[in-house]
Amino acid sequence: MIHSFFLYIDPGSGSYLVQVLVAAALGVAFFFRNLKMYIRAFFSRFSKKKKENISE
Amino acid sequence: MSDTVVSNHPSSYRDPSGFIFEKEGVIYRQVNTVFKDHYTHFINSGLYQHFADNKMLVPHEEIKENLTGSSNFYITIKPEKIPFISYAYEWPFDMLKDAALLTLQLAKDALNYSMILKDATPYNIQWKNGQPIFIDTISFEKYEATPWIAYRQFCENFLGPLLIMHYSKQHLPQLYTAWPNGIPLSVIQSLLPKKSKWSLHTYLHIHLHNRIANKNKGGEQKGKPFDKQKLLNLFTSLELLIKKLHVPQQVSTWSDYYQEAAQRNHYLDSKKKIITEWLQELTPVQAIADLGANEGEFSALASSYCKEIIAADFDPYCINKLYLKKKSEPVYPLVIDLSNPSPALGVNNEERSSFLQRLQVDIIFAFALIHHLAIGKNIPFNKIAALFAQCCQYLIIEFVPKEDEKVQLMLKQKEDIYSAYTEKEFISSFEEKFTILKKENVQDSPRVLFLMKKK
Repeated sequence: MIHSFFLYIDPGSGSYLVQVLVAAALGVAFFFRNLKMYIRAFFSRFSKKKKENISE
Repeated sequence: MSDTVVSNHPSSYRDPSGFIFEKEGVIYRQVNTVFKDHYTHFINSGLYQHFADNKMLVPHEEIKENLTGSSNFYITIKPEKIPFISYAYEWPFDMLKDAALLTLQLAKDALNYSMILKDATPYNIQWKNGQPIFIDTISFEKYEATPWIAYRQFCENFLGPLLIMHYSKQHLPQLYTAWPNGIPLSVIQSLLPKKSKWSLHTYLHIHLHNRIANKNKGGEQKGKPFDKQKLLNLFTSLELLIKKLHVPQQVSTWSDYYQEAAQRNHYLDSKKKIITEWLQELTPVQAIADLGANEGEFSALASSYCKEIIAADFDPYCINKLYLKKKSEPVYPLVIDLSNPSPALGVNNEERSSFLQRLQVDIIFAFALIHHLAIGKNIPFNKIAALFAQCCQYLIIEFVPKEDEKVQLMLKQKEDIYSAYTEKEFISSFEEKFTILKKENVQDSPRVLFLMKKK
């Protein structure tokens, strides 16, 4: 069913507001993602050093 | 301005920034005065050069002359010619995915030069040497701290169709003939399974997007601050999601056809030998179309004899495999059902021309195809001959007689109503449109190869 309302509005209508919400959610999600990657990188560096010490 | 006729391209009417036109068989793009600032920034900032160097955008040459005589004229550009134009409804999943990823990369790179991509449609992507390339040079505007104007368009034209194909595990290029300008978000949402909501990125870009867009119909759109980092997060999120999407390589009816065919003693070798000899006499040529290309065994053979190869098959799994294999070669893999080739679409049926209008080649290959059209689809020989005759100068076609094991296999599943399916009838029907130049039997097979020239 095509709502007649759609004929009078820009097809991108509403997408501006949603981007503001999506950006806020992504800001939080990427903060934790980066944190996770940082922690992972830190521990992998740590375990690498440990391995190197063992092999020495 | 000269007196030569200038014709505007039928699909280039939406954007007031400029338009495409043709003059003396050459394609140009006029940039209008209204877009002058954006265009000069695009060139002077180095973004154009960055895209051209990385083969992301079709390169162009600037022509100062006003070829159209239009009062809006700012500059004319002559883009490098794209040999064959194809559309998203002819692409398998991985072609569409690569086109979407290129669009996002363009949008991300543009931000580094303080510009933003204002259009996100697959019609702005074409193919060069097996790689996607963007063709709309005037799609970049100066960035003004607003959200992405093409966000919804991207979700409806790229993300939605890719998600539907991913969750249904099917290549569905046909979706684009039903919705040539993108599938509405509400339709995408209704076609996705409930479990898709558990993917954060899918939830945000489709489910939440649809809900908010519907609630906020006609609401105020401007004045909301949106910095570059937010836009980058948006592009990265779409990219992360799309990179994870895939359609599994299923074993379709025609995949692994060549391995099976190769087992039939010298059949493939003999066929290749005959075709190579004939090609050496006819070539070099510009373009060859391999219809019923399967995974492109004969497209590969043709590659030494022409500049571009259009490899079409109705099986999207084979064409997808061919695309993944032939990246970097001038092959255009296309999903085409010859019993229903892509129609002309859009305003006045002129925006996108039909497949047969676009397919103008020197040589057509039609190997192991005739029985699928004549017996599989009940198409009479004279109609098949007319189909090929409108697209080529030469035709190399394989006649597969009824006694062939593949035809026998087909006839096991249906009643044999094909009394006219004989070599004699085949020759007399094709002689209405073609002159038969050569004929040779393929070794270890009842099949016969014909070289024909259009009358």
